[in-house]
Amino acid sequence: MPPGGCLLIVGPSGSGKSTLALALAGLVPRELPGDWTGTLEVAGLDPVSADGPAVAARVGLVFQDPEGQLVMDRVEDDVAFGLECRGWRPGAMRERVPAALAEVGLSGLERRRTTRLSGGQQQRLALAGALAPEPGVLVLDEPTANLDPDGARAFAARLARIRDARSATIVLVEHRVDEAWPLADLVLALGPDGRPIDVGAPDEVLARSRAAIEAAGSWLPGPAGASRGREGRRPRPAPTVGLDAPPVLAARGVRFAYDGPVVIDGVDLEIRPGERVALVGANGSGKSTLARLLTGLLRPLAGAVWLGGADPSRLRAAELARRAGLVFPDPEAQFVAPTVRGEVLAGLDPGDRVLADAVAALMERLGLPLDDFGDRSPYTLSGGEQRRLSLAPALARAPRLLVLDEPTFGQDRRGCEALEEILAEQASGGTAVLAATHDERFIASFADRVVRLERGRVVADEAVA
Amino acid sequence: MIVRRLEVEERALASPLGRTSPLLKLAIALAWLVTLAFSYDVRPAAVIAAAALLAGLSVGRLAPSRLAAGVAPLWAVAVGIGVTNMLFSAANTDPSNAVLAMIGPLRLTAAGVAGGIGVAARVVAVVAVGVVFGQTTDPTALVDSLVQQGRAPERFAYGALAAYQAIPRLAGQLGTLREARRTRGLRAGWHPRMLVGLLVLAIRHGDRLALAMDARGFGSGPRSRYREVRWSPLDAAVAAGALAVAVVALLAGRPG
Repeated sequence: MPPGGCLLIVGPSGSGKSTLALALAGLVPRELPGDWTGTLEVAGLDPVSADGPAVAARVGLVFQDPEGQLVMDRVEDDVAFGLECRGWRPGAMRERVPAALAEVGLSGLERRRTTRLSGGQQQRLALAGALAPEPGVLVLDEPTANLDPDGARAFAARLARIRDARSATIVLVEHRVDEAWPLADLVLALGPDGRPIDVGAPDEVLARSRAAIEAAGSWLPGPAGASRGREGRRPRPAPTVGLDAPPVLAARGVRFAYDGPVVIDGVDLEIRPGERVALVGANGSGKSTLARLLTGLLRPLAGAVWLGGADPSRLRAAELARRAGLVFPDPEAQFVAPTVRGEVLAGLDPGDRVLADAVAALMERLGLPLDDFGDRSPYTLSGGEQRRLSLAPALARAPRLLVLDEPTFGQDRRGCEALEEILAEQASGGTAVLAATHDERFIASFADRVVRLERGRVVADEAVA
Repeated sequence: MIVRRLEVEERALASPLGRTSPLLKLAIALAWLVTLAFSYDVRPAAVIAAAALLAGLSVGRLAPSRLAAGVAPLWAVAVGIGVTNMLFSAANTDPSNAVLAMIGPLRLTAAGVAGGIGVAARVVAVVAVGVVFGQTTDPTALVDSLVQQGRAPERFAYGALAAYQAIPRLAGQLGTLREARRTRGLRAGWHPRMLVGLLVLAIRHGDRLALAMDARGFGSGPRSRYREVRWSPLDAAVAAGALAVAVVALLAGRPG
């Protein structure tokens, strides 16, 4: 890898992309021990044998989770943190901190609390913190995975400027490649076993190994859905499914506010059986709040929600669970039981034989057969397995409405495809599915209809061809 | 929500009390509490509570409504503690003490009432001092001061700051766990299992943060200071004022 270039590493979950990124930054195998063979040279150092500070001085690292990497309470202190660790003189820090913030477009926010920034701003702050010590190598591990499209584009634009300045060598790990591909001088594609499939200039890699990379479960650039081939897609249920049927869900003039300003402002929405609706909008537009209102977790301040003829916020919890399932973005943040079996059966009647058989069949279809997975801890599953498990409690109740908040969060291509398949199956069985998402690829292959929220109002509601 | 309640107002941070060394404020708080230990009398506690609140409102530029919102719930607890002490004081069983009233089988004596008020007053004072400290102290400044003026270990101090920042995040995750239980038709209230879930999430977060700090060279050698903390004439003035308050409190508590 020549200095000043940009290396893009692609691969499915479990292919070792992140491990490689951590190794480049000297954290594997020093901080996270394991078997290590082979040699690595980064900025003239062997990060495996060199001492930590020397590597940290030359390599800047940005992780996926914006909140998980901010140390200090205020923006400028967080940028200065890495400089302090490296013993910069105060005068030099006073010059460098504002400059690094300017490079990522955060000038003027020096005294802002880091918890008050948007996810996109937090991620650019993490970039500023990594850039501030002027590292020779900048390693980014899926930096835009948790951002909405606007935040991701703003981040990619800043990264493009850094690349064009050629001041640091960039190593970018991504499995969403649309924004990243144009930045790359060199692409390394990894397979599910962690072995390289191909490495070379982006065009050559595409020409040589497109099929192998796709077979490994990675995305390649192109219009949404193109990399998997239109003909490969399942036929959609006719968009007229259930359009004559009475709506599963109806919202009329729903308003909601937490302590402060109004978050949901006069939303009207009807969803009919078998519809697959994508709920889109920027971070903070009210998607998650609306999902909670529609599933009875929150009660509107004004207006009404009708779920199969009843106000969901007044239903008993068990009855509500039968009518509507809600799945949260982070699978790990919603597990309530110590085992996979307990997770699916929580709140269900343990003596019901018919139900037990149905649950066993469901887990089989989700690729989590209870014979193999039933006694495992949910926390030990892979990301894709966790996602499918998080759907199971809702699916086991065969609700008429399934609401998902950011269902593709942290999923690779295989995970997304498995999810789309499950949702399509549910929809063809008459379940209405509403997914709050900003994943454009997922929307293109999942939705019959897109509802767009802006500052708590529905600004567009249209069927997609 | 909880994030707002924890945040310190910028106006208070720019005030003289906000610019005072957090380490000094911590030392003053401790010294005042020691003062309270010398007497059962109500007056020293009243002096210290009043001094803390007045300092918060004047040189701390705290908004009265915010200060009130901070102390009110804890003062309610103080009253509860006082009443309990009043009713169940050992002095009430002493036949030589004058009976003020009988509440069912309970004798309420003058000594018991005085003791209860004394305890409540001290809790009121502790709360006032703690809330004024919390509402005028920036967490970053506290850490800088502990490390630079108090020579606290850096790993401990920055770890504590990171933990403080994780509070809103954990509060949000606790909310999600509750909602996840409700969507399954489970009891909505508190369940010990949620603690396990929260613990897993907290440990994952801690691991990631530790890795991020290592990647930025934390703990790798002598650190320099972006914000140098120095003792200032302001600190001397605040210390002198605090000492005066302590003397007044001690004098107020002298018997006779």
